[in-house]
Amino acid sequence: MNENIAIKVDGLGKRYSLGAGGRQHDSIRDLLVDKVGGLFRRKRSQGPNEFWALNDASFEIKKGENVGLIGLNGAGKSTLLKILSRITAPTLGTAAISGRVGALLEVGTGFHPELTGRENAFLYGSILGMGREEIARKLDDIIDFAEIRPFIDTPVKRYSSGMYVRLAFAVAAHLEPEILLLDEVLAVGDLTFQRKCMEFAKKLQRRQATILFVSHNMFSIKTMCSRVIYLKKGRVVFDGPTDEGIGIYERDCMLGSVPWMKSEGEAPVRVTDVEILAEDGTPRSVFEMGERMRIRLAYEAIRPLDSPTFILSMTRSDGIDVCNFNTETDGVDLGRLEGKGTLELRTPPLKLVSEVYSLSILVRERGFKTLLAAQMGGSFHVRHELFDGHFGVFHEPAEWSGDWASSIARPAERRA
Amino acid sequence: MNTMTGVEGAGRTTPQIVEIRPSRGLLDLELGAVWAQRELLFILVMRDLKVLYRQAALGATWAIIQPIFAVTIFTVVFGRFARMPSDGIPYPIFAFAALVPWNYFADAMRRSGTGLVNESDLVRKIYFPRLIIPLAAVIAPLIDAGIAFVVLLLMAAWYGIFPGLHILMVIPLMALTVLFALAMGLLLGPINVRFRDIKHTLPFLTQVWMYASPIIYPLSLIPDQWKWAYSLNPMVGIIESFRWAVTGQGDPNLTPLLMSTGLVVVLLAGGLVLFKRMERSFADLI
Repeated sequence: MNENIAIKVDGLGKRYSLGAGGRQHDSIRDLLVDKVGGLFRRKRSQGPNEFWALNDASFEIKKGENVGLIGLNGAGKSTLLKILSRITAPTLGTAAISGRVGALLEVGTGFHPELTGRENAFLYGSILGMGREEIARKLDDIIDFAEIRPFIDTPVKRYSSGMYVRLAFAVAAHLEPEILLLDEVLAVGDLTFQRKCMEFAKKLQRRQATILFVSHNMFSIKTMCSRVIYLKKGRVVFDGPTDEGIGIYERDCMLGSVPWMKSEGEAPVRVTDVEILAEDGTPRSVFEMGERMRIRLAYEAIRPLDSPTFILSMTRSDGIDVCNFNTETDGVDLGRLEGKGTLELRTPPLKLVSEVYSLSILVRERGFKTLLAAQMGGSFHVRHELFDGHFGVFHEPAEWSGDWASSIARPAERRA
Repeated sequence: MNTMTGVEGAGRTTPQIVEIRPSRGLLDLELGAVWAQRELLFILVMRDLKVLYRQAALGATWAIIQPIFAVTIFTVVFGRFARMPSDGIPYPIFAFAALVPWNYFADAMRRSGTGLVNESDLVRKIYFPRLIIPLAAVIAPLIDAGIAFVVLLLMAAWYGIFPGLHILMVIPLMALTVLFALAMGLLLGPINVRFRDIKHTLPFLTQVWMYASPIIYPLSLIPDQWKWAYSLNPMVGIIESFRWAVTGQGDPNLTPLLMSTGLVVVLLAGGLVLFKRMERSFADLI
């Protein structure tokens, strides 16, 4: 293997069998019944109960390269990481990895609730592949990073979930791997903690570590990676520059239904396109705080609908729905909707704090009744140098009054 | 956080290339990988020991109370009521000397057989040589066995039995018991990953096995023509020899012991091969 290559994947595939038909026997009795039954069957049925979680994946990652792995749930991202971290074996193909691997597929696996924070730091560190002497040397740094010094000798079952995650991540952050496999672990915890995780990843970046990074947060992928690999149904469908890859991915997501919709076929109306635009109508995905936004929708009504309500909902990257615009409370009656058409929303100045937000579009019957359609609509980023998650969901300037002593800071109008 | 910027982490390990492919040879046991991760083994053993009696008011005293309680019951029921012969050894010592290796074996087999499933979070999310799980499971209960052994020696002294040099035989005998428990764990563990039936079978199996071993009765009770079949149970040779090593009474019974050793070696080899063959599918099946 070329010495500049950290990870080389060649024709990697992983097959799983599904359900009982896939000969997953949950008890010996099932196995016997099946084996005996098999004597009387001509041929074993194969195929429909199998699926390839990963199919013929090939790529190379150079030392020091940071690559984002993107794709919908079930696209094979985690399977790929599991194979590369040797947790599970591939069905086909080979992979070669050169360097000390640190794999974080979940933060805190292996913690024992009865043990103290200190004991767990040693336990978890060893599980991740650190030596005892190495952990002992780094323990002070770990405790500081996790901000749990007063509780380090308390059993972790008494910890809050935040403390628990912080300690686990602090240990993992001191692993100093040459190759880091990260599966969405940066998405846990509150926003402050997520920021800390990003700083950790950036520090690794400066040390020339190779990082393969799974995330659904396109903003962190953009800041971390210059290259993305896009997996779709187990196959690599794109491998190249981040912006281009995310563009393709977001277009695919936008048109896909969100999971809780019954099925695509049943929806009486479909949103066929979503565009996020600046006030002047040019496509944009980054906005300054306080800017207006235009969102243009194209829809197709499969059957005529009487006065449906279109709802546009914005969700922060940690899953909190932050605001919602809809035709009904804004006094727009769409009347009888038939065939294709477009709708455009011009938002008020958005006072949302600096963060990543995703759009989803819902169509309901008038009165916010039966859900007719639900789709994802891409994501955008709001920027502000100061106002971020620490300042709440949104920020608006307010007026202050009172009778305070300082004569310097007193507002001009009160002096008059 | 200054350690993060250092290059020591990157510089220390020589670049080794790990190949990942669908299947490996039958006999590639990767024991080197287990040795390289011996600190993890140590930490897992320590974890089990620390957790065992934590938040119990009597703490490690339980390691003494439990065997004494069992010996008392056996002495009353089998020694007094049933008047079980005990080869001239006081019945409490006779039973206790058998219970030390047996209790260890039963506990170690249960732990190593169910360890993979109990640690399923680790198996699904983190890579390390899976052999470490059953290994840690057979090492941790040695501490309890050690405590019980000291109590046994004190009790023997109270009955006026002072073992001679043959007490040293206890060490190779316990080593053989450890290997046997490990072999059982290696065979049962992978099956338990696939079929949880093992978990339900184990308590039952252990109980039947106990009565099939010379714990409450002596080997001399078995008719001569059936002794060979009876001794196919490796615990027969181990328990009889252990009793001899502690009390010095009777003879060391070499034939069953040699049979035990041979069987343990075969089971251990089979267990290792089965375990390694199944190892890489654990994360998918568990």
